Amino acid sequence: MTAARRPDTARPKGRLQARGAGSDTKAAYVFIGPAVIGFTVFVVYPLIRSFYLALTKYNGLSDPIFVGFDNFRRLFTVDPAFWPAMRATAYLVLLYVPLSLAIGLALAVFCNQKFRGVRIVRTMAYLPVVLPAVATITLWKFILNPQVGLMNTILEKLHLPTSQWLASPTMSMPSIVIVMLWGVGSTMIIFLAALQAVPTELYEAAKVDGAGPYSVFFRITMPMISPIMLLQVILQTTAALQTFNQPKILTDGGPGFSTNVLMLSIYKNGFSNLGRIPQLGYASAQVWVLFIVIIAVIALTAKFSSLWTYSDNSAD
Amino acid sequence: MTTLLTEERGSAEVAARAVGTKDRTKSLRTASWYATALFVCAVMVVPLLWMITIGLKSRSAVFEVPPRLFPNEFHFENFIKGPEAIRFPRLLLNSSIITALSVFGGVLTAMMAGYALARLRFPGRKIWFYLFVGSMLLPGVVGLIPLFQMYKSIGWYDTWLPLIVPAFFGGNPLFIFLARQYFLAIPYSIDEAAKIDGAGHFRIFTQVMLPLTKPAWITMSILAFQASWNDYLNPLVYLYSSEKWPLAVGMASFISPFAGQTPDWSYYMATNLLYMLPPLILFFAAQRYFIQGLGSLGSTTQK
Repeated sequence: MTAARRPDTARPKGRLQARGAGSDTKAAYVFIGPAVIGFTVFVVYPLIRSFYLALTKYNGLSDPIFVGFDNFRRLFTVDPAFWPAMRATAYLVLLYVPLSLAIGLALAVFCNQKFRGVRIVRTMAYLPVVLPAVATITLWKFILNPQVGLMNTILEKLHLPTSQWLASPTMSMPSIVIVMLWGVGSTMIIFLAALQAVPTELYEAAKVDGAGPYSVFFRITMPMISPIMLLQVILQTTAALQTFNQPKILTDGGPGFSTNVLMLSIYKNGFSNLGRIPQLGYASAQVWVLFIVIIAVIALTAKFSSLWTYSDNSAD
Repeated sequence: MTTLLTEERGSAEVAARAVGTKDRTKSLRTASWYATALFVCAVMVVPLLWMITIGLKSRSAVFEVPPRLFPNEFHFENFIKGPEAIRFPRLLLNSSIITALSVFGGVLTAMMAGYALARLRFPGRKIWFYLFVGSMLLPGVVGLIPLFQMYKSIGWYDTWLPLIVPAFFGGNPLFIFLARQYFLAIPYSIDEAAKIDGAGHFRIFTQVMLPLTKPAWITMSILAFQASWNDYLNPLVYLYSSEKWPLAVGMASFISPFAGQTPDWSYYMATNLLYMLPPLILFFAAQRYFIQGLGSLGSTTQK
């Protein structure tokens, strides 16, 4: 820390220069050092290494054998589980993301109103987010039990049709999405922050002009929060593509392959050694398929965002 | 709960002042607001109440058809016997050690990096900032297999090190970003004054900056606590021996049926409640920071 002690006052220049000009470099790298090492070891290295492993046959015991794009060829043409996994993942994303955004935004708009007790609603809506995933998912596993679960009990009392939920191949994925939607508070809280950042003058001006609530929402609120909407689309889609906990705990991919999403398939190929040899190279190839899908989603969303997001060029 | 109720007196006063026909539509609207509010709260809370109900039922009452929404007799001993069945104290200790260390490491090193990025001038400052921010978008799954292999080759498989050590190297890039945002908002005259008084960066960081950035590192600590306490995939992948498991893995294994045995749901739900309790207490104690911290996240990403 001796370098840091060097008095900057010795150089009576402007404020900005007194702070800078090299004297901080050593101290800066002491402070940022752990993060730099972490970035190299836990981000850059695994990124390169996983691409290499995707091109090898590797069981985790003997050395990896280079096989070129053989893993990818096997995935796309031979593996009977791969396309169902892609289908299940796409289904989950297409069902979950729009619902999560719509319900999250509706809840945020609701919680942005002024009425007594609104804070309690906000707190309750966010509550499931803070609870451990394992705890809430297992709770839902019991709620969705067809015979003694709460869900069917309530539906029966209301004379509504009941379901086999997780046990039915057609309802298993919607059931998983229901469980995921219970955590919609995480989407809500970010929309709520965005709504509260909208300048109130805009609403006042609209009120003076006699605009109704719908035109206020679609002409003021939506354009103003569209950058956050873009961010949410990217974050939610990226997260949904990597869903693991819910299918793992609720169904373990079943019934059939109906909920065997890509992350679960990667886990099963790479780690779950139920008497099988782990195929780490093969699982890495799947990781890269997932990774490329994620990059493509982000790139496409960002590319087409100018069509529907509003940006104020006068701001920095 | 008092903090929840302090707001929104104004709307009631406005409503009270309303007159004539407007009065009726207004009260109708208010009623529909409260119906919606009640529905939202019910959807969020009823599953948790159901959990408590099952936790209090006897083993056979859990499988009654049709199920009772309220137990007809209370079995408080489930809260003792359930935890015993999975050696809860041991798992609790494991979870606590893992969580405490990774919160400390993750928050400290992220704050340090944020301090350097926001307040020190050095070559490469911008590049590192963009690299850290960029790595937020990188899916965690990419690192899963190479890191597993790396830990295995250095003998860290089946130890807590893979769950703790990465936290001491910057932890979460989101935290670095949050820390930087907070540090940027502090006037530069403060550390200039400290420098004139002869304080080095280490003293400025610990004695000037940390007290000023309390909301930032409290928010981060809460988020880091949850991330570690709630993490399931990493301990599942890295820990083989059941005596080293944290609660997440222990709880999940509790209900995986062994040899066709049905899991004991009443024991499970009682234990589940105990597992949820620390994050639950933390949430209610630190609500203010939660909303504040996440709110600033929403508004900073907008810029």
